Amino acid sequence: MVRWGMVIDLKKCIGCYSCLIACKQEHFLPPDIFWNRIVISETGQYPNVKNYVYPVLCNQCNEAICVKVCPCGASTKREDGIVKVDYEKCAGCQYCVIACPYQQRIFYDDDKKEYFPGQGLTELELIGRELSPLRPGTVVKCNFCEEKIDEGIRKGLKPGVDREANPACVNNCPTKARHFGNLDDTNSNVSILIRQRKGFQLHPEFGTEPSVYYID
Amino acid sequence: MESYEWMVVYTPQTGWIDGKGILVWIAEVTGGLGGGLYLVSLYFDSLWGMFLGWLIIISKCGFHFAHLGQPSKFWRLALNAKTSWLTRGFIFLTLFIVFGALQLAFTYWLPGTAAEITFKVLAGIMAFLVATYAGFVMNYVNGIPLWNSALLPLLFIVSGLLGGLAVIVAISLFGSGVDLMTSVGSLPLLLIINSLLIAIYLWSGTYMGPTGKRSVIELVKGRLSPVLWLGVTLCGIIFPLSICLYSYFIREASAPFVIMAVACVIVGIFSLNYCLLKGGLYSPLVPMS
Repeated sequence: MVRWGMVIDLKKCIGCYSCLIACKQEHFLPPDIFWNRIVISETGQYPNVKNYVYPVLCNQCNEAICVKVCPCGASTKREDGIVKVDYEKCAGCQYCVIACPYQQRIFYDDDKKEYFPGQGLTELELIGRELSPLRPGTVVKCNFCEEKIDEGIRKGLKPGVDREANPACVNNCPTKARHFGNLDDTNSNVSILIRQRKGFQLHPEFGTEPSVYYID
Repeated sequence: MESYEWMVVYTPQTGWIDGKGILVWIAEVTGGLGGGLYLVSLYFDSLWGMFLGWLIIISKCGFHFAHLGQPSKFWRLALNAKTSWLTRGFIFLTLFIVFGALQLAFTYWLPGTAAEITFKVLAGIMAFLVATYAGFVMNYVNGIPLWNSALLPLLFIVSGLLGGLAVIVAISLFGSGVDLMTSVGSLPLLLIINSLLIAIYLWSGTYMGPTGKRSVIELVKGRLSPVLWLGVTLCGIIFPLSICLYSYFIREASAPFVIMAVACVIVGIFSLNYCLLKGGLYSPLVPMS
């Protein structure tokens, strides 16, 4: 069995936003749509201050509440654990947006929005609109770059090992803070990292079993 | 909320209350009101009340339809009854509209027949489910502790019945066969039950972890407190309760006062739903500032 997952090393992450930009480029994401985000918080008071930098993305939950609540059957979980949205089926009710406790789903409704307001869509944006499967009036979210994974597997590559079959955010992390692999394989890079460095998930109390782990 | 505060502090849900989300708020109120009105009308045997309840439920469908990002795909909402409360709600609404239309037709043209009674029962069951299901839709969202309460469906049905009774009181003013004093006399009981339920719901919310507690604080003494105290408590409970008790004890209901009380109850229900939707907070994703 395969269940794709990601491990993010918080010690290595420097909050440079490379993952966010790589994701935007890979999927031609319009303005205000982020499938990867960096959440930064501070705790304590000077001089005892602690800074937290958490890269966050869709957790591709094993018990995905977004899939359960979707009335249209547009949100589904693939056999390899990736939670995807079929934009052709989504009616845009936003129940999944509300139900996701990690707030990783976004309602995309303005396809006219430009990166350079008032100057029209750039050539790249126009190409992006044609190539991107996003549909206005539907819900969008990170898909672990499923198209890269599928294409890589078709070519005989191994996601998590071969760079070409990895998600864009993993490939573009300059500090190699992101690791991708099969959570069901006990000998995969991600399973070893989770085991050895006590990987943890965000809010496990929601019972969604996220496939994104963090190590500190 | 500033973008850098996103999921670092308690984050309010916005999808179902801000912008176009206002339509969801109106749809939730109309669902409870329409379903409640239909049930109360069945009890008082008011054909006008049933018809109005049926119309209100149709308007609810319109608000949901207008809220969809892809309205042409509305039929797809019926495809996941196994796990989605929205699908179940869609089915309840459809069945209510069909059964309700048949019941109204039978009651108007063929009263007293077995078919009329059958469709009254079926439409009554569906009206109950229509008034309640929004509570289950919200209750299923465990990421928002304030909503993740078993009391929510109960709160929806009671406030729906209250709204329905208030509308019946207004209808009875125009002499539609409903005894005005009976309907006015029933209103205080539901107002008291509703207010007790709101109090218990808020109190139980403080035990839903720090996020649930924060939601309740926001409602009771935070940014939403004017809506809770002025809209829900004063306008929605105290004012109509005073008028109804006064009218009931002097055995005389003055039309302007009764209409004012009815309007206040409706405003109270709108305010309550607004508080519930606006007060829904998500837990911070990372350790809090």
